[in-house]
Amino acid sequence: MGVVQGDQMVLNIGPQHPSTHGVLRLKVVTDGEIVSDITPIIGYLHRCFEKHCENSTYEQVIPYTDRCDYIASMNNNFGYVVAMEELMEIKVPERVEYIRVIMAELNRIASHLLALGTYGLDVGAFTPFLYMFRDRERILDIFELTCGARLLYNYMWVGGVSHDLPVGFVETVYNFLDYFEPKVQEYNDILTFNKIFIERTADVGVLLPEVAISFGVSGPNLRGSGVKWDIRKDEPYSIYERFDFDVPVGQGLVGTMGDCWDRFYVRVLEMIESTKILRQALKDIPANGDVHQALPKKIRPPKGSIYRRTESPRGDLGYYIISDGSPQPYRLKMRSPAFTALSVLNEISRGWMLSDVIAVLGSLDIVLGEIDR
Amino acid sequence: MTDNQEQLIQEAVEKALQGDMDAVNNIEDRVTRSKAKAALVKAKREAAKTSAEPSSEDKSEESATESKPAPLSLNQKIAGIIASQFPGTVDEESSSETHIQLQPAKWFDVAQYLRDDPACLFDSLQCVTGVDLGEESELEVRYNLHSMTHRHAVEIRIACARNNPKVPSVETVWHIGDWFERETYDMFGIEFEGHRDLRRILLPDDWEGWPLRKDYEVQETYHGIVVPKVKEGWE
Repeated sequence: MGVVQGDQMVLNIGPQHPSTHGVLRLKVVTDGEIVSDITPIIGYLHRCFEKHCENSTYEQVIPYTDRCDYIASMNNNFGYVVAMEELMEIKVPERVEYIRVIMAELNRIASHLLALGTYGLDVGAFTPFLYMFRDRERILDIFELTCGARLLYNYMWVGGVSHDLPVGFVETVYNFLDYFEPKVQEYNDILTFNKIFIERTADVGVLLPEVAISFGVSGPNLRGSGVKWDIRKDEPYSIYERFDFDVPVGQGLVGTMGDCWDRFYVRVLEMIESTKILRQALKDIPANGDVHQALPKKIRPPKGSIYRRTESPRGDLGYYIISDGSPQPYRLKMRSPAFTALSVLNEISRGWMLSDVIAVLGSLDIVLGEIDR
Repeated sequence: MTDNQEQLIQEAVEKALQGDMDAVNNIEDRVTRSKAKAALVKAKREAAKTSAEPSSEDKSEESATESKPAPLSLNQKIAGIIASQFPGTVDEESSSETHIQLQPAKWFDVAQYLRDDPACLFDSLQCVTGVDLGEESELEVRYNLHSMTHRHAVEIRIACARNNPKVPSVETVWHIGDWFERETYDMFGIEFEGHRDLRRILLPDDWEGWPLRKDYEVQETYHGIVVPKVKEGWE
């Protein structure tokens, strides 16, 4: 006298499906509308980044890091150069530190805007997507002004940055902040506190803190579950300890703590915190300084290994670098936050309706370039 | 060479050693000047030798006295805890302040202990890195553990044989171990014993070989598609 079980159907979502945010295939076992098992099948974008690194010099790795998480390339560059500088014991000039923080935080806002906009799209709200892309465009313009590229920057180098800030940069960013800060309220009005949106996302895909930690989930997804963990605060790198900002965590404002809505709202709040950091950095940045001053003539780190993590918009981005004293890395491993986030999908969306799986997947904000590497 | 000349050189060298190079440079006779410079180089070299010897002794004494009261690094502390709980698992010779070298045999029990013991509480497996230590030597798996409660981190390293690499799986200790171990298996062919679903994750199921091993050779064709060779390293 077992459990009565209806006919099960195996359904493939992707690899070419707009809601999978890239080339991801989900093998979903459904019982009617209810999902009983999900197997994510990844690797469609696999380029063996790590093997490429072993055949490139340390400088040549930086453009590859751009292409891993292509939504937040600045943050990927940042993580790599921070690890390399720690390995080589390079002290970079003050101005470079400020420039890097400004770029990383601008990129964090751009990344969250994309995450929030496409999430609206996933659950059926088209208009907010256009609002957010309109504003993200302004950040990309700032990047274009600085280094000529809009998506893949190769901007941060070991020991410095590729170009100094252009004339009028600080005013441009101030103008952007003046424009952007009131817009957050607009997003909240049109999407975050929209009743239909709350119905779709609140109480759905609840991720308990212990489960999140065991699955290695990090960044906004972990903070959405109420765990106050942000590497910028807890293991400060670069000059983050100088800035005054909060670490927003999910509180279950409209549903249960750790649901899709919490993960969404944490990202909204993080954008506000990033604007706070930006204003402080713009105020304190040294007016002059050579951004190429600390560039090493030859990048040959001493023998040894290092594991360093930084906070990318998706979470703990770690680099494990092993050097044998030659100009090429002996081994380079990237710990991708989106990889761990995707692994939790089956755990938190089993038992929900098929349409909720899309809501949960979108709320995890994955980037396939980084998962597949 | 007259005594007068020798005396001149000696005086100039002494002045130069105290920082006054003009004394040497102002010697009018070219030959005497170059002799003075040669003498200066010799004198400097000897001075460096005599000053280096006692200073290096000083340093070693200093470091010896420093290392005694120096606090153990977290890796060393945790290594001590593991060694007392599971005798014979820690390879103390290869361990250092930055990592703990373990024998693979009891790794599963050690991992469980590290996760649950109140002094350790490593509830988060941050990263699993496979390493090929060279074509003639072993493979190694490196685990970066982190505790959300104590906010501390350690690195565990486990080596395994190249031709039959086996390491106990910790997939049931930390959930993320599942995907991390599959990735390491995919790239290095390290078999994680006890893993319930050990198969390739990033590469297709029918791919041949372990790409991140140093002796990896790309298969020539894959489903009739010619696989381009990996570019040779940069000189």
